[in-house]
Amino acid sequence: MGSGIYSFLLLKAFYKPFEAFTELAKVDPSPISIIFRYSLWLMLLPPVFSLIGAANFGWRLGANEPLMMGPNSLILISVGYFFVLLFGLVTTAIISCWMAGTYGASESLGRHFALITIVAQPLAIASIAHLFPDVLVNVLILIPTLIWSMYLLYKGIPIALDTPPERGMLMASSLVGWLLVAAVSLLGISMALWTMGVGPLLGV
Amino acid sequence: MEAVSENTYHDRIVIRLIQFSVLWAVAGMLAGVYISAELIWPGLDFGQFWLSFGRLRPLHTNGIIFGFGVSALMATAFYSVQRTSHVPLFAPKLAWFICYGWQIIVLLGGLSLLAGWNTTKEYAELEWPFDIAIAVLWVSFGIVFFGTIATRKIKPIYISNWFYGALIIVIAMLHIVNNLAIPVTIDKSYSIYAGAQDAVVQWWYGHNAVGFLLTGGFLGMVYYFLPKHAERPIWSYRLSVVAFWAFAYTYIWAGPHHLHYNSVPEWVQSLAMVMSVVLLAPSWATMINGIMTVSSAWEKLRTDPALKFIVLSLAFYGLATFEGPMMSIRSVNVVSHFTDWTIGHVHSGALGWNAMITYGTFYFMVPRLVGRELHSVRLANIHFALALAGTLLYIVAMWAAGVSQGLLWLSVDQLGELSFGFRDIMASMTPYYLLRLVAGLIFLTGTFLMTYNLFMTLKGQHATKVTVPAVNPAYGV
Repeated sequence: MGSGIYSFLLLKAFYKPFEAFTELAKVDPSPISIIFRYSLWLMLLPPVFSLIGAANFGWRLGANEPLMMGPNSLILISVGYFFVLLFGLVTTAIISCWMAGTYGASESLGRHFALITIVAQPLAIASIAHLFPDVLVNVLILIPTLIWSMYLLYKGIPIALDTPPERGMLMASSLVGWLLVAAVSLLGISMALWTMGVGPLLGV
Repeated sequence: MEAVSENTYHDRIVIRLIQFSVLWAVAGMLAGVYISAELIWPGLDFGQFWLSFGRLRPLHTNGIIFGFGVSALMATAFYSVQRTSHVPLFAPKLAWFICYGWQIIVLLGGLSLLAGWNTTKEYAELEWPFDIAIAVLWVSFGIVFFGTIATRKIKPIYISNWFYGALIIVIAMLHIVNNLAIPVTIDKSYSIYAGAQDAVVQWWYGHNAVGFLLTGGFLGMVYYFLPKHAERPIWSYRLSVVAFWAFAYTYIWAGPHHLHYNSVPEWVQSLAMVMSVVLLAPSWATMINGIMTVSSAWEKLRTDPALKFIVLSLAFYGLATFEGPMMSIRSVNVVSHFTDWTIGHVHSGALGWNAMITYGTFYFMVPRLVGRELHSVRLANIHFALALAGTLLYIVAMWAAGVSQGLLWLSVDQLGELSFGFRDIMASMTPYYLLRLVAGLIFLTGTFLMTYNLFMTLKGQHATKVTVPAVNPAYGV
């Protein structure tokens, strides 16, 4: 347990994802230890970057002046962001584990946590773009990263979860379906909360 | 016209409809790419009315929905109804009349839109002479389709035919009721409905055109071609029947969610909202049915590039049918309405669901129709990657643009005045529109590859003669 997959966490899995997937296929790690030794720290990055960026520059939605928010609103957004990411990671790993039965993949929950974190890691690191909170800059940096992450998802499932590539492709597509729905839910829920007056003041 | 015996399926007409469908896909998407460029560089209309956004936009939507979409639905309906009924098409001459008549309507209708003829009803822009022609052709489509079912040799009516049947009946009803108008001149008529009633009728039409044409019709495609592709029966036939009736009952109420915060009674808006949310259940039942059918047939993915398109189309179907009900909730709609989020939503359906399922189906049908292998599996795989990338980029760009617009439009300063002018907000959209243009070009490139691939597969070939197989006596009429 001491070596193997754990030696890839935190950073090595970022630049050697495929070796990390191969290592992962050999072990059955504990979900708790994956979360605390790996996932949690990466999930902290985007909220911290966005907090620093928005406090210094304000969010640029596109039109003239940046939106400067008060400290309370900023902290509320950042804490909310962290919990949303954590919720996303945990639910995706659990759903992935649940789907595994259908696609003949490994049902070790720890592996699913590690797999989803390895896939999400490039996005967590690319969130450094939040330091300059201009929507366009973020979109331009995060979209190529998103494509890379999706590539890792499609390639990683068959390796890490011991399933043929074709079944892995189907499972990855089902997970993409879930992730798209989760993303749009997040948009919808945020919008609904804002318009109902719950949540941060946008400085407007 | 066609040398077929009584015992052979009419497949030449299917090939012709596929060719027209691909032609309109290219033309419609080109128009789409052009108008998306106009939103960045307005000077691209070169001062010509017929090149202006206002005239090209309905050309884009009508070309895609009625040219690409309906031709594909007619092709697949004719293909599958013969095979599920074990009988050649009823009234094949009428079917040929529909095939060419429809293309003439799309062509002349498109030109009339460029000339500025326009009822101003979204997705029902064509003026009254075209509306009458469409009604005649649509009823003819129904005669051929239901005639084939009436003369079937096999007792059960397979589920795909229920969906195609609902498409034909409901679209006829919607089209005729919504387009009732008093003609004034050849190019101008006035709706018989006034004010808010006109709006309610229009969105009853508009949303159910999405429902029964872009959803129901294409579900017919899924229910026939997915099990064929996978060589497996549908995962749960019972679920498909339950989903059909739930879908047919629920969809018809959802239209007024396009009129939130408008001058229609609030209970009408609330009813539409509730029914839209309920609609998630039958939509997802179908998605799960499709995903489970294909999940047991994964070996097919090794040899069949087309199946990937169908798998992914189901994922986007899941997204679009979740996003739609969510956007119909008033407190979300207050942000999303009148923004590019709506455009993103429409395209997650149109590109991710409708176009992908059609592409997958064409890659499946065309080699079988002419009895040879697909010209290039590699090109089809590249097309898949381009279609996926184009769709995702499109959706993400429009989500970012839409949410920005929604929030900026709702921003008021301490005096209660709008913080940003409409023009300023639109001017700040250029980067997102550039991303969308790139997304459109990527998707269009994929469509070009498919056009070439299908052209080379069809080149010099004739439709294979497929004899009607014998019916198992247990299922005979």
